[in-house]
Amino acid sequence: MPRIADVSNVEKNFILEALISSKLRLDGRQLDQYRSIDLTYGQQLGNATVTLGKTKVNVQISAEVTKPSEERKFDGIFTITTELSPIASPGFEIGRPTEQEVLLSRILEKAIRRSRAIDTESLCIVAGQKCWSVRADVHVLDFDGGLTDACCIATMAALHHFRRPEVSVEGERVTIHTMAERVPVPLSILHSPICVTFSFYADGELVLLDATAKEEQVREAEMVVTANDFEVCQIAKHGGKPVDPAIVVKCFQVAIFKAREMNKSMRARLTADLAKRDIRGQSAENERGEAPIG
Amino acid sequence: MADALVVLPGDSVDASYLPTAQKRKIGLGIKQEFQSNDFTSTVAGRVEVDHRKKSAHISTPNARYIAKAGDSVICQVRGASYETFHLYINAYSPQAILSHFSFEGASKKTRPQLKTGDVVYAKIASAQKNMDIELTCVNPSTGKADGLGPLNEGMIFDVSLELADRMLKKQLAPVMEELGNKIPGGFEIVVGKNGKVWVDCADAGAKGIIAVGRILQKLDEDVMQEKEQKKFVNRIIKEMG
Repeated sequence: MPRIADVSNVEKNFILEALISSKLRLDGRQLDQYRSIDLTYGQQLGNATVTLGKTKVNVQISAEVTKPSEERKFDGIFTITTELSPIASPGFEIGRPTEQEVLLSRILEKAIRRSRAIDTESLCIVAGQKCWSVRADVHVLDFDGGLTDACCIATMAALHHFRRPEVSVEGERVTIHTMAERVPVPLSILHSPICVTFSFYADGELVLLDATAKEEQVREAEMVVTANDFEVCQIAKHGGKPVDPAIVVKCFQVAIFKAREMNKSMRARLTADLAKRDIRGQSAENERGEAPIG
Repeated sequence: MADALVVLPGDSVDASYLPTAQKRKIGLGIKQEFQSNDFTSTVAGRVEVDHRKKSAHISTPNARYIAKAGDSVICQVRGASYETFHLYINAYSPQAILSHFSFEGASKKTRPQLKTGDVVYAKIASAQKNMDIELTCVNPSTGKADGLGPLNEGMIFDVSLELADRMLKKQLAPVMEELGNKIPGGFEIVVGKNGKVWVDCADAGAKGIIAVGRILQKLDEDVMQEKEQKKFVNRIIKEMG
């Protein structure tokens, strides 16, 4: 049964020493530098792949018509599913979620779904009877740390990219138009949350952004701050060593700054890709170039 | 050499590809049909022929490491029981055991001091199917360690199996030499066939080790000619200062 070993003493001592005494990271990055982020869109609308160094995540958005829940008759449904499989790393097993997997789903859930990034009221077709159920499937293809960050960027990129069929309602009759009849409609996105993970070392004195898998294994604590262009949406620090509050507040500022940067690049990449497609979302060319962002 | 021949399991390998001398070594992925001159491949990969050494095998650069007797690997201690250490080679291999007596100068009174998480450079003594892999840190005939044993200090980097093989075959000599000249004080390296490389720089310290690590990663990612390799080495050394 494949399993990953804990980090060895040699590696742990070296990574911590290089960080604490000389502020050096294994790949030569600065402490607050992200790895290069590649964002590519697939053939279908709503399919985005994000590569963060060696970490690779693919998100596919799909929508179908269903009956809304009883408590929320005027809202549509939006769900995010994440499943970590051995394709990403030998340490993951299907059907037996590790603590990491559970935390990842919960953070994405809070960051994107509960913060109302998608306006679910706009997904309602006929109150109490028909609504759109939008589903984001997150597939982790390769794991080398920074999973929360990569999954969030990929999900938001895919949501911005997705188009659902246009719907017209006449009394009781609902017509869902095909992509050929009417131009498909983008989702109503209220804000763009981006998760930024902070890793703490040396009693909270040293803060790293975008830790690789090895750096993650030796960290003392981690905190995920989700921010959009204006404010912080969500903060999560599940245990770990205590960190001085002054440092935590500084992290909030950094998170908003990074979120703005990320959103700007994402929007640029999105416009570039949509320009290549015709109005119905069909790609005009078969070749998709990869343009690094960030 | 002719263009590379890529095969899938079950493909037949033309006998004209392979060396024809009497004492040739055909192995690792190429199977000779019973009493004939027909060869079939059993794994997927590229056929590599070395006419000088009269050998041929199939190289699988991104495959998982499969333990084989005689290989030297870098492994991690997971635990110890009464007279053996339990070690971890990689995620896909069964557990490996290393007896307390398989060290140089070991006796009933002196036990080697290895804790969980320590790293050992050991040789695979036997790797039978369905049995634990047996390791040793001592040359059975001479009783000397020959460089095997615990590794302290330094850092371990993960590399692809192909790169580890190339390093063991000394095909990367120009890059290593260049690195040795540029890093003050030189560096020490141990290559494990399971895709792990241990690096230590006595003088240059963390900076030197990180420089070597980055170059190893780059060699893994991109295919570079010798000149490009040297240029990259110089760039990294300049960046690290």
